[in-house]
Amino acid sequence: MPNRAARLSCAITIVIALCGCARSGRNELSVPGGDAGRGRAALIALECGACHRIPGIPGARGTVGPPLDGFRERVYIAGRHPNVPDRLVEWIRDAPSVDPATAMPDLDVSESEGRDIAAYLYR
Amino acid sequence: MAPNRGHTPGFLLRHKLLFGVLGACAILLLGMLVGVAILLSGAFNTAATEQHSAFTHFLLDAGLRYSVNANADDIEAPALTDAALIDRGRSCFRAHCVHCHGAPALARQPHGLGMMPIPNDLTESARDWPPAWLYYVTAKGVRMTGMPAWEFRLSDTDLWATVAFLKQLPSLSRAELVELAPLPPQTSCRSDDAATARRAESYDEDERGEIVLRQYACHACHQIEGVVGPDSSVGPALVDWPTRRYIAGTLPNTPDNLVRWIIDPAAVSPGTLMPDLGVSDAHAREMADFLFAQE
Repeated sequence: MPNRAARLSCAITIVIALCGCARSGRNELSVPGGDAGRGRAALIALECGACHRIPGIPGARGTVGPPLDGFRERVYIAGRHPNVPDRLVEWIRDAPSVDPATAMPDLDVSESEGRDIAAYLYR
Repeated sequence: MAPNRGHTPGFLLRHKLLFGVLGACAILLLGMLVGVAILLSGAFNTAATEQHSAFTHFLLDAGLRYSVNANADDIEAPALTDAALIDRGRSCFRAHCVHCHGAPALARQPHGLGMMPIPNDLTESARDWPPAWLYYVTAKGVRMTGMPAWEFRLSDTDLWATVAFLKQLPSLSRAELVELAPLPPQTSCRSDDAATARRAESYDEDERGEIVLRQYACHACHQIEGVVGPDSSVGPALVDWPTRRYIAGTLPNTPDNLVRWIIDPAAVSPGTLMPDLGVSDAHAREMADFLFAQE
């Protein structure tokens, strides 16, 4: 049966497509004015990976802060602030002003850099 | 070699074992694919308004009985006729059971009405089941139903008191039954953290950490390596724990500090959304040991 492989791959494609449909409950977080590409560059320049594990950033394997994978799915920032774009930008720009006891330093991040970084974390 | 009788069996016959196995595999695979297709198409409705087929219900019910029979086998029931014990059990029933199970002459609370499977009225099992079975189901709960395990909440005495009361339940009058209305759990037969502080020790050492984490619902908010759960993103993922430097972004990550944090999160980080779950020192240590044993 020459087209058995074709049929099998067709069946597999259908199954994968159905899996895709089932995942449509994804949230719609996005950062107005934020650019994920520039955010990636900023994450590298600011050496965020020294403290955080960040997917897609070379060498970002830090264990001082929590891993930032799947940040879009996270419900809270720092265990207390709702994970919405504006709060995340605020946190990235100056964490100690939000939560004085945090070990996360103020890295003097500009508003636009903060938006870009947030966009990358939500990508 | 056998002499050639002028007849060679066909390829299929000569390899009938091979083809038999291949055929069985194909049928199994097809069945699995059909199952996956039903699941992904949404044809299996998870609504609690849908009922099990009679056959599914029979299977689950029989499974429960055989499981309880086998697992409760070596549980020794104490004497259950003491009036004070029965009275204590009545408080436990009113504080923790009657909301979902109700009783004859007493309607259950709203959350006990819409559940699937429905929490059964307990008079029949109370009459028919041996005390050890009732104790086992109360202490360990029943998975895939709403029945929780109570052994990490109630002392052994309270668990047996509940069984003692259940044994009396079928003989109560209507007047006595209507007096079983729910009591606030804080005022009577309350969750006894001191009495259950070392409950994990009744489990094998290598499964304690995982059981304790689940019995305090940690996996409802955290993804935890080694604990199967809803993969929640409410709290941070507890993976590669030994490599983490800080707890809650403020406290150096040592086993002792982790125990401190679990027992009273707000004392470490005021304003945190991580709740105080009434975890005992012994159970917090089991959790910390489990997390620090991650690769």
